[in-house]
Amino acid sequence: MTRIKLAILTAATALSLSACAGGAVSGLGFGNYALVRARETSVGNGSLRVAPPREWNRQHGQLFVDIREVEDWTLNGPLLDGVSFVTGLKSGATLVRQTRRDDRQVPKFRSNMTAPEVASMLESLFRVRGGTVDFKTLGLAPRSFLGQPGYQFDFEHLDSDEVWRRGRAVGATVNGRLYLILYDAARAHYYNAALPDFEAIATSARVVR
Amino acid sequence: MTLLDRRSLLIAGGALAAASATGTATARVPPSSMVPLIGPGYRPVDADERGMWQQMERVEEEIAGSNLVVQDAALAGYLKGLIGKVGGPAARDFRIYLVRIPDFNALMFPTGMAVIFTGLLLRMRNEAQLAGVIAHEAAHFLRKHQIRQWRDMRTRTDIFAMLAMGAGIAGGAAGVNTGDISQLGQLGTILSLLRYNRGLEAEADAMGVRLLAEQGYDPRAMAETWAQLIAEEKLSAKYRRKRRHRDISLFGTHPSPESRMADLRLSAADVMRPGATYDARHASYLAAIGKIRPTLLDDQVKLNDPGASLYIVNNLAQDGWNGLLRYSEAEIYRLHNRAGFDEHAARSYAVAVQYPDAPADAWRWHGIMLSKAGRREESRAALTRYLALAPNAPDAAFVRQMLVS
Repeated sequence: MTRIKLAILTAATALSLSACAGGAVSGLGFGNYALVRARETSVGNGSLRVAPPREWNRQHGQLFVDIREVEDWTLNGPLLDGVSFVTGLKSGATLVRQTRRDDRQVPKFRSNMTAPEVASMLESLFRVRGGTVDFKTLGLAPRSFLGQPGYQFDFEHLDSDEVWRRGRAVGATVNGRLYLILYDAARAHYYNAALPDFEAIATSARVVR
Repeated sequence: MTLLDRRSLLIAGGALAAASATGTATARVPPSSMVPLIGPGYRPVDADERGMWQQMERVEEEIAGSNLVVQDAALAGYLKGLIGKVGGPAARDFRIYLVRIPDFNALMFPTGMAVIFTGLLLRMRNEAQLAGVIAHEAAHFLRKHQIRQWRDMRTRTDIFAMLAMGAGIAGGAAGVNTGDISQLGQLGTILSLLRYNRGLEAEADAMGVRLLAEQGYDPRAMAETWAQLIAEEKLSAKYRRKRRHRDISLFGTHPSPESRMADLRLSAADVMRPGATYDARHASYLAAIGKIRPTLLDDQVKLNDPGASLYIVNNLAQDGWNGLLRYSEAEIYRLHNRAGFDEHAARSYAVAVQYPDAPADAWRWHGIMLSKAGRREESRAALTRYLALAPNAPDAAFVRQMLVS
């Protein structure tokens, strides 16, 4: 049963670091959202603070999928748009929980990874956990993040639900830990609609410890 | 279970020898006994089959319009040509769709619609292997397996039949080696119809071998494909430190994949005539899929299933290593990302760039690996080469910054 649920989840998902999404599809405790006010708030394990320009919805983590360092937000539901925060992922850790024996695995983060390697890790995340069948890198360029030399990664992907989605990740490695904010939304309409929110969130981000 | 096996035996044309009392074995079907049950332009007559066709035609509309279908006219023409060759009397009635799913699978619908996954194209070494799978699927159509299976299921009322159907549906829903196409429409349920019992699979194997040999393809290709699959699953499991477990749905369930392979070898020997020539047709296969192979490899490698991917690359490399295959090998090591594998990856990138057909990406990764190893000058040279080969690469801005820092 677990396998069926997982397959349905991942196939319906399409995005986000929590493999959860899909709302009514599975009934595994979805509908668990909390309002995020339009003021500075801490995310993930509390080591990052951001200020969204308007109210967003925080998705509750799933016990066996999500890790402490990752938090997901959405405006219109996870199939349409979402922002994920990675707050200080340690070297040797992965972005999602997975068992050692999974055939297909999201690669571990290593603190000596360069930006292309982090981008490639994200691509595998989408392919392994999001049901992505086609993934295109649109850009990888230097960008300052959290006052550090970081990078901006732009991409788009076709998922098994036949929707093209587009995303942008801004990240940097700070004291050997990965800090990253990932935006991913349906390419038609939704991506452009919430991109200014994402930019404001990314610009406002600061590490608090 | 016993009931099912007796049926299989009847279908197998009364070859009883291999059946044990507990019904765990199915006799091999002699290829000579496999004659098509339908002719050209077949249309369903009975009410139940007509109903089934109507449903399937709706599914076909959905698949034909799916943006998972690979839009490549030349490749589509090639596949259509192949099914035209090995499709027996129904050769002109088939439609064939290539869908972008990195799993090994092919499906034949009762209306003559075939769906091939890109993961299947990746794994085939030559045209004979691909034609073998297509012939096997065509045989399901020519022998009317779908409607026979459907009627078989409906008439059986025992608990095992119900369980088998449940399992079929669950398999479809769980995407067991069917990728995510089971999410399309009612396909999840319909896939249960395409999980044939062993007797029908044995028929399709035997007839496939025959169709293959009749067109001058080496009929041993089907046993090779099967051997490749077993070996791939084994290596995949080994890298994850477990036993082989996955159900290979293309050929249905069978107590021993090895005995299936043995049957295919025997059938191939049956149909090969002395003096006749049989060809694997490697060159024509490469000519047809060469352009898409980098994409197929990339789709597989990025799944980070290192054992399976390494098996595939090494299997293809039996026909000769090249820059693309070495680059893929390096990518597998890099993504595997375990202690020591960085060095493996660095070495393979270094070898890959020696080949004239190395992808531009190989130069970038070669440069990054050199940079991480502290070999700055060599790294700069490799990254400069990358930018020369791919000046408009999406990550050119980042690589330029690496060069100046």
